[in-house]
Amino acid sequence: MKGTLGFRRTALAGAVLATALGGGAFLVACGAGGQDGGGASAGGAARLSVADSYIPMPPAGGMAAGYLTVRNEGGEDDELVRVSSPGASSVTMHRSTASTMEQVEKLDVPAHGALQLARGGTHLMIMGWQKAPVLGDELELDLTFTRTGTISVKVPVKELTYRPGQQ
Amino acid sequence: MPRSARTPRAARLAGATAVALAAALALTACGSSGSETAGPAKVVQQKTDSPYEGTVLGKHFDKPDLQLTDTSGQPYDLRQKTGGRTTLLFFGYTSCPDVCPTTMGDIGVAMKKLTPEERQKVDVVFVSTDPQRDTPQVLRAWLDSMGSDFIGLTGDLAKVKTAAKALGILIEDPVTNPDGTVTSTHGAQVLAFLPSDDKAHVLYLSGTEVKTFEHDLPLLARGVAA
Repeated sequence: MKGTLGFRRTALAGAVLATALGGGAFLVACGAGGQDGGGASAGGAARLSVADSYIPMPPAGGMAAGYLTVRNEGGEDDELVRVSSPGASSVTMHRSTASTMEQVEKLDVPAHGALQLARGGTHLMIMGWQKAPVLGDELELDLTFTRTGTISVKVPVKELTYRPGQQ
Repeated sequence: MPRSARTPRAARLAGATAVALAAALALTACGSSGSETAGPAKVVQQKTDSPYEGTVLGKHFDKPDLQLTDTSGQPYDLRQKTGGRTTLLFFGYTSCPDVCPTTMGDIGVAMKKLTPEERQKVDVVFVSTDPQRDTPQVLRAWLDSMGSDFIGLTGDLAKVKTAAKALGILIEDPVTNPDGTVTSTHGAQVLAFLPSDDKAHVLYLSGTEVKTFEHDLPLLARGVAA
């Protein structure tokens, strides 16, 4: 029960935030991201926010997927180049195809567009949990973008079959 | 031949093959309707007079003759055990984070909406494409997250590949990645066999919505003709 401390604190902070914001991963991300500032002049720069983030409770084995949407309201493209977590030893980006999945090194976040990580498509693969996840936990994910830098989000662990927009 | 799957290019090619295969399957499915042809969107559409929302197959595959080991470690003869019963068949592996738990989880949700009588008539069978890691115990623990009555089969991969191939499902040997993870290439469609003739009549491609399973499972349980 020792190594769980870091995760616990993270989970707690996340829970408080999530409660305060009523399940708005969107707002959490905004707060953590502190965009608008970021890169170059306000007009054209990438302006990122993260929404609808969740981790379906992984079946036994701890191999989990993470899903989220990165919106870019700015006028410059950005790209997600790295994802890490203080609560998991490995977070990688993958794309599911019709019959397999392949690791990807970076994912585009187009200007005035969005990067969507969704079931059956591009997703995060999360391994090496410090503490076996349980429903309601939150895992911090640090998303690093070429232009914007790192945005940290607290991602809730939902039911295995959860989809955004449903209970 | 599967050794070559280690290079990214070969993997991509395999992916392309799979896409082509899936398309071919969809076309097969379309063949049954034989109705007016249209754009690509129409190709995957089911027979318009079918009660099912899943893709109705034009070619009714036989249930494969497959003997493997179930999650209690006992021999399991697929044809014998599931004969005369509605059967959903899916090939996948437990260290698959995205498609496999999503598909099996959605089927689990739809199964729970059935009445106990209906549920009792349906066998959901998950066949491992990574038998080396998916031992009976591993399979059981994984499947229990989605359905404690789901049947998990593991064993000789060559047999699994042969069975899948006969169903138009591509499976390759699992590949161990540099980081120690394993990636298995496997067609991710679900095939539904009807109790009337033990043949596959309905196909659910990867990405099928849970409401489609919820709509179709009661029909499948009752053995309604596709």
